[in-house]
Amino acid sequence: MEDILKDLAQAKPPTPEVDSERLERDLARIVTLPREKPARKLFVRRFAPLVVIGAVIVLAVVLLPAPPQPVQPAAPPKWWHALTRQSQIMIVGDPADPYAVHLDSKTDRWLAANQQVTVIQKEGDVTPFSLDRGNEWEAAGKPETVPQVGGTHSVRIGPMKPAVQKTAVSGFQMSLHSQARFDSLESLPADPQELKKALETIVGKDTYRIGSLAMELISSNVRADQRRAAFELIKTLDGARFLGDVTVHVERAGIGVAIAAPPTFQFSDVETQLVISKETGLPISKRDVITTSQFGLPAQMPISEEEYLLLEEVAFEPIVPQDVPVNGEVESPIIER
Amino acid sequence: MEEFSIVYRECYPRVLAYAASHAGGRLAEDITSETFTIAWRKLDQMPSNALPWLLGIARNLVRATHRQTTTYELTDFPADDDFAVIELRAALASLSEADQEVLTLIAWHGLAAAEAAQVLGCTTATFFVRLHRARRRLQAALWTPKFDSARASWKTS
Repeated sequence: MEDILKDLAQAKPPTPEVDSERLERDLARIVTLPREKPARKLFVRRFAPLVVIGAVIVLAVVLLPAPPQPVQPAAPPKWWHALTRQSQIMIVGDPADPYAVHLDSKTDRWLAANQQVTVIQKEGDVTPFSLDRGNEWEAAGKPETVPQVGGTHSVRIGPMKPAVQKTAVSGFQMSLHSQARFDSLESLPADPQELKKALETIVGKDTYRIGSLAMELISSNVRADQRRAAFELIKTLDGARFLGDVTVHVERAGIGVAIAAPPTFQFSDVETQLVISKETGLPISKRDVITTSQFGLPAQMPISEEEYLLLEEVAFEPIVPQDVPVNGEVESPIIER
Repeated sequence: MEEFSIVYRECYPRVLAYAASHAGGRLAEDITSETFTIAWRKLDQMPSNALPWLLGIARNLVRATHRQTTTYELTDFPADDDFAVIELRAALASLSEADQEVLTLIAWHGLAAAEAAQVLGCTTATFFVRLHRARRRLQAALWTPKFDSARASWKTS
């Protein structure tokens, strides 16, 4: 899919030739036309009386004795807000003539000490596509659910229903590592080797789990030096490969690192790549790519990806959809067969 | 005025190309001329990177032109294009106008994502989401029978 924009660029229609005579003629005409007066002057003229009245009110308020200050409520908690987009390819249908589905959705995650609010399956959609330009899904009668190849579940085609999950946990819970919970992110070391030792106490000496947890820390509300340490740590892991400059999604440029990943139930020869911004150290994309061609998909094709659209600390309460019950049933697109 | 002239000469071909690809060659010069006339009137608002702003004006004019006319001028493509290019253009033509716009701003008009977002009046993050979806739909159009009908309609146009 990465190349489709390059292919499209090749299909660009011919650019019309510039008629130099008309270009100059138009320019000569345009610069003789009157220009709009700067809006500022008109604004000042029109609203000057209001400005004077406003100034008098402000002065009066400033000069009046201040009333006793009411007791301020406690400051609202600060939330780490991460808006991400998840996409995944799953092989489905008849194992002898499989096709694929593309799962795409967004997740809004708000994390504070002891609290977590997550909106999952936002704008989610599952779309079938052929691996060899065939029409297997249509030929099968456009079924609403299709069986996974090599798995025990089915996948529901069509839009996903969003769900809201609120949990109260102690400390900062890492979403991909159920056993990883930090009382404070502030105390994590900013030295790569020290950080590695700290992470080993949580997930053991498993290279992939250490790398994966370090990647999750990079997307968490840690300091810039801790984020840098986590990236350097990943680079030093056994088998890790520094990818140098990487551009993803056409225009999002950064630097990347790759570590070998365990096989999924459908794909072998998988590696996890993390791309971060050179300037901020914040993550841009984390994706699992296949390193060999499989099911007709070419090597280096992402089979799953988490793209980071927004990472920010906010002081307002999480924004959740009002028409979705909190902690209600999640209608996952992956269902029992 | 000197600054405007520099921007005018520098950006004219790209505004013309944008107008031609969205409104056809016949209207392109008029739309380009009108774009720069508006830009001249609003010179105080022209940002230092003027191209996205100019394309935003051109975009509004193209849309106004479409509203006023019931038939669009068809763009002629060279007949000697190879089949893959014809396929791709047909698949593109089968997408919604919004999807086509997102894809062509990047692939044909060479804008960066932030610039394209400025043309469309959305945030860069929103633009990335729209681009991702448009690319997916273009890929799907190439891989599904829908493409065949689009190709057929392109061939007859």
